[in-house]
Amino acid sequence: MNRVRAIALTPGAAVIVVLFLIPLAITCAYSALTRGAYFGLGPPWTADNYRRLADPLYGMVFLRSFALAAASTAICCLLGFPLAVFIARSGRRKNLYLHLVILPFWTSQLVRIYAWMFLLRETGLANGILQALGIIRAPLPLLYNDGAVLLGLVYAHLPFMVLPLYAALERLDPNLLEASADLGARPWTTLSRVMLPLAAPGIRAGAVLVFVPCLGAFLVPDLLGGGKSIMIGTVIQNQFTTARDWPFGAAMSLVVMVIVLVLLWVGAGRRGEDLL
Amino acid sequence: MKRALALYAVAAYAFLHAPLLILAAFSFNRSRYTVWTGFSLDWYRAAFRDHQLREGAWNSILIAVTATTISTAVGALFAYGLWKRRSRWLSASLYLSLITPEIVTGVSLLAFYQWIFQFWRLHLGMCTVVFAHVSFCIAYVVLVVAARLRGFDPGLEDAALDLGATEWGIFWHVVLPYLKPGILAAALLAFTVSIDDYVITSLVAGVDSQTLPMVIYAMARRGVNPVVNAVSSVIVFGLGAMILISERLRAS
Amino acid sequence: MTRRSLLLAAAGAAGCGGNRARRLNVFNWSEYVAPETISNFEREFRVRVRYATYESAEEMLAKASTGNSGWDVVFPSNSYIQPMASAGLLARLDHKRLPNLAELEPFFQSPPWDASLSWSVPYMHSSTGIVYDASVSPPPVGWRDFLSERFRGRVTMLDDPNEVIGACLKQLGYSLNSCDPAQLAQARNLALEQKRHLRAYLNAEVREQLVAGDVLMAQLWATTAQIGIDARPSLTYVYPIEGFALYADCAVILRESDRVELAHEFINYLLRPQVSARIAAAMRTATPSAGARRLLPPSLRNNPTLYPPPETLARGEWFTALPPAGQRLRDRIWTEIKTA
Repeated sequence: MNRVRAIALTPGAAVIVVLFLIPLAITCAYSALTRGAYFGLGPPWTADNYRRLADPLYGMVFLRSFALAAASTAICCLLGFPLAVFIARSGRRKNLYLHLVILPFWTSQLVRIYAWMFLLRETGLANGILQALGIIRAPLPLLYNDGAVLLGLVYAHLPFMVLPLYAALERLDPNLLEASADLGARPWTTLSRVMLPLAAPGIRAGAVLVFVPCLGAFLVPDLLGGGKSIMIGTVIQNQFTTARDWPFGAAMSLVVMVIVLVLLWVGAGRRGEDLL
Repeated sequence: MKRALALYAVAAYAFLHAPLLILAAFSFNRSRYTVWTGFSLDWYRAAFRDHQLREGAWNSILIAVTATTISTAVGALFAYGLWKRRSRWLSASLYLSLITPEIVTGVSLLAFYQWIFQFWRLHLGMCTVVFAHVSFCIAYVVLVVAARLRGFDPGLEDAALDLGATEWGIFWHVVLPYLKPGILAAALLAFTVSIDDYVITSLVAGVDSQTLPMVIYAMARRGVNPVVNAVSSVIVFGLGAMILISERLRAS
Repeated sequence: MTRRSLLLAAAGAAGCGGNRARRLNVFNWSEYVAPETISNFEREFRVRVRYATYESAEEMLAKASTGNSGWDVVFPSNSYIQPMASAGLLARLDHKRLPNLAELEPFFQSPPWDASLSWSVPYMHSSTGIVYDASVSPPPVGWRDFLSERFRGRVTMLDDPNEVIGACLKQLGYSLNSCDPAQLAQARNLALEQKRHLRAYLNAEVREQLVAGDVLMAQLWATTAQIGIDARPSLTYVYPIEGFALYADCAVILRESDRVELAHEFINYLLRPQVSARIAAAMRTATPSAGARRLLPPSLRNNPTLYPPPETLARGEWFTALPPAGQRLRDRIWTEIKTA
């Protein structure tokens, strides 16, 4: 059986090595080189790029991104949990409801971001409705701020939270909940002492699936943020385009990856191969 | 409690779908602003006439089909190989590639290509984009197929062996038919991920390989544009219909 | 050697090596040619032109500076010409193939950034100023108005470090291209204070918002502003009193290109008075060609937004190339401004 296994593994392994591991190695190499006068890069080898990262300025950028990603994750969790409970308890229509959640995800992410640009601008629908209802007199600046970015991030990643939550809640034995009620627990107690702990693996998986993309997000802050505040994804992108400082961008990318890995290792509770 | 949950679900679904539906509604608006001035198909006509959009759509589909085919074939085989006997470092690498932020993947692939181009006089182009897409689609394919494989009874393989089947015969006639729904689901996922990708594609695309997300991004960057509304609606409903139909076929 | 050529052949067959048909790849700013400019060139010279556009000079530079982007003709701003030439990215121009160079105004025949036009040909020029709506009263006169509270956050500046820092430097009375750390620090503080009143940092997309009435005042290029003014006549463009930036987008041929002859023909075609005039009329750009300017309708030829009088022009300063140390400093300041 070994020959089949070897043949089955080879093309995949080749793809992984050539198109993932080697590029990663090259990025590591780049992060230790120096930027050319105006473009390009080359020797001397230096640790300068990593030293520049210790600058509190970039620490600030990273903290902001971290805070926004954490906020998005928390909001997705709060919004997604009741929805997941609803779907898990909906009997025959489970699949339909699940598909309705996923359907927006299948469309283009740019389309979804653009939809919010369209809605939130000064002369957009949101302001139009609020003004028509007389709630406000002058249009509100709904776009181009952190709130809009948060909204965009939550909107883009909510399905990623609902799916794992649903998967965990679906395996929940309804008898446990009934037993809890029979023993005199109020709904809130049932929720916090019975449901939440059992759904915890789902929450953890969902948090990972939302937090990591939000941390490295680039499109949502770019289009909905108005360029006023940058997140780590934008800074990295800038290094490879505007600033033309490839070594620095490479160093930043690697640091972000290491931090993500550490967070995952800590957050996943060392359960090992939960995905594969 | 149940009623509250149902009400909440309605609100949540409205939140998820309303922006897209509103976008679609306004794509039929004659005026380019949010004041409704009449029903019109002008923006759709403009969208279909737009040369860049057409080319972007064609490139996107071409790249997605190619990348999906390659990554599904390679990924399914790979998942099977991993299922036969685990390999720590391969699984770890796969997991790593899944959680790497898109910008990092894109940037390292660009660096890789630039390094290769020093030896061979090549350009960024459709090939570089296809290979980039394969590199990130394969993890998704392996994920889905591996999940499907978990439900497969290894006893069936042993039984087939005892009955005298060859190794390849077992794969083709025993495992593959079982995997088919999983492979289809994986292909669908890979296709969607590939067609929707912006960040990685924009970094590694060449002169001739503008994709649809890149064109939409350029248009969205220039501000609100009803042509984007029209294109968005086509994408949403087109893709949505495709997904629903394929799910129906799968279930039947 | 054989294996390499085999691989190359295979790659070429797969379409990775590039086409051998008669074609030209042109990368230009968006909305910088008239609708028929490219198709007329294709027809007359029997070529196929791949014409793509970009929104920012950085976007183009990121591709061009790799040395294998696939583009033949690109249009960097004048401040990038010398750095690109020193980095060996540009092909030297052969003036024998560019007879229409004589059509250029005297100033542009020997501009400060490329005195003998050995690397570049000026294509269109413009300035960065302030565009505002008539409902803003009293009307703004300079960059200092961006510090005013009265706009209630409906003002924007360009999403470009050199433009924003440049405006602040001008407001402080320094040179646009200053790399002095003390002066830049002052400019940064000014920009940070200004940011409080800003809606967003937007480039050309603000034009559509100006026309819709979302934004009341913006830092914008004269060309883009003029298109906005055409759509909404209540808009006005003013040249800031403290001084402003001047720039020229120039056509260059990339050294990596193997279609240098065809590229020369294309640039020569763009230099024709009729062609240049058509582009300037359709896209509201300011042409550096004297011959083209003569062909423009009077309303455009003497348009004060596009062709300001000499006294106004005297307050302007051309962008120049910056030394790497200054570049680094400005990049960092830009990150600081964005992070605040």
